[in-house]
Amino acid sequence: MNGKPEIGDPPHDGQARGATRRPRSGRLTPGQIRFITLVRREITRFVKIKRQTLGAPLLETFLYISVFGAALGSRIKQLHGVDYVVFIIPGLIMMAWATNAFSNNSSSILQQKFQGAIQDQLSSPASPAELLLGFSLGGFLRGMMVSSITFVVASLMIDLPVDHPFVLLAGIFLVGFFFSQLGVLVGVRAEQFDDVAFYQTFVLQPLIFLGGVFYSAALLPEPFQTLTQFNPVYYMINLVRYGFIGYSEANIALSLGFLTVATAALLAVNLRLFRSGYRLRA
Amino acid sequence: MPTALEITKLTKRYPTGVDALKGVSLSIEDGEFFGLLGPNGAGKSTLIHCATGLAQPTSGTIEIFGNDAIHHYREARAAVGLAPQELNLDWFLTVEESLDYHGGYFGMPKRERRERVAELLDTFSLTDKRDDRTRTLSGGMKRRLILARAMLHRPRLLILDEPTAGVDVELRLELWHYVQRVNAEGTTILLTTHYLEEAEQLCNQIAFINDGEIVAQGTSAELADRYGTASLEDAYLTLVGRKELSRAHIADAGEAEGTT
Repeated sequence: MNGKPEIGDPPHDGQARGATRRPRSGRLTPGQIRFITLVRREITRFVKIKRQTLGAPLLETFLYISVFGAALGSRIKQLHGVDYVVFIIPGLIMMAWATNAFSNNSSSILQQKFQGAIQDQLSSPASPAELLLGFSLGGFLRGMMVSSITFVVASLMIDLPVDHPFVLLAGIFLVGFFFSQLGVLVGVRAEQFDDVAFYQTFVLQPLIFLGGVFYSAALLPEPFQTLTQFNPVYYMINLVRYGFIGYSEANIALSLGFLTVATAALLAVNLRLFRSGYRLRA
Repeated sequence: MPTALEITKLTKRYPTGVDALKGVSLSIEDGEFFGLLGPNGAGKSTLIHCATGLAQPTSGTIEIFGNDAIHHYREARAAVGLAPQELNLDWFLTVEESLDYHGGYFGMPKRERRERVAELLDTFSLTDKRDDRTRTLSGGMKRRLILARAMLHRPRLLILDEPTAGVDVELRLELWHYVQRVNAEGTTILLTTHYLEEAEQLCNQIAFINDGEIVAQGTSAELADRYGTASLEDAYLTLVGRKELSRAHIADAGEAEGTT
């Protein structure tokens, strides 16, 4: 410390910062600055380890496209009137958003709990809702990036239609937000890294794979065809696939409705946990 | 002028059933340098965590400059800077980012953050390290960064939880000079420490906490008087029931042994 004067300089003008001060018009409010910073922190984290958080999922997605689309696709030819590779790409784009949103948020929150660094956000004036949305958006945006890059690259390589853009956007945004919330929930509950890996490997991955990313459930023998209908991810894949190629095995309006309700319910659960301080505040 | 920190009948029972605080009442005046002393596990950190939102009190009230820290936490927390005992830095961030993001969490506009970060990097001799990841810093550097971060949003109440634990003599003295100056400039300070000479040197009010209760409070001299001891350390040892460890006692015993 170099002994310069006026280092403390506390604001003894009554109110402290961050709570009630009103900015001049056009300036960001303290609440907006706080929220942007919470999201910036999450983006900074995944960008700094981009080989793992962006590179690896992109490589994984293109390996799936190569193996299933190019290698197997040459044998399968068409499925429900579209090339096999075009049939699987919507599911892969959805899977990329879902898994990245989930793993980003669950890992980020658990790591911050481990380091104790999360105390910096928790002891700030941020409200439970601000904290929850800040932590959620990191994974949402990472999933969006991986999905968008996959979409752009796939569109350059093959003729990928977008038959119902509104259903596609509504569906995939809801899927992304749902898995962001799920990631937050698991991250908050987790006490060790094994807890996060468990959900990822034993719950999420099987549900996504068995939800029909790589095949049409209509082609499955019984009882697997019926069982698939109990898998919520099946409806998410159908929504996104319908948005792209106009083919769905499930009722689109019902799927959208259920997904909206499920996402809202998960958001409500998380908000309750953040308000109660569950596993975040002792 | 409201008091800086007013704690009334604060209790904290952890889910494990441990009663960490058993009805603590404490009042710290604006501008005071207040020391909270007590053995490990006495409830010092729990008290600090309750005041900063990191722990949720079971009952009782906490007011920071007149704002209820539980129900009007925004105003209360905005006024507090916490330098925790653990070096809880974010591994993914650089030194500069750690400070900048902290300012962001407290709602400081960008330009103000930039100026304040540069000023504190300079004050804490961290300017050369501004682009280093926090994980690569030495223990002493981390300790400086933790203190700089706590000061960043210009808190009116600075809470220092064992700030000099495990630091070398030079840094300890630097930190002492720094916090004394900050206090002289008007910031109220709550300090917990195991080093009694630190409390004697810095604090104008001292409270002893033991087993979740405040057992005595006063100036260093008042506490020594109350316990009928020559020093604050002896008063402390009396409090924790280890009078036999008193340096005076050991010296007397040594002399007695030497004469036989």
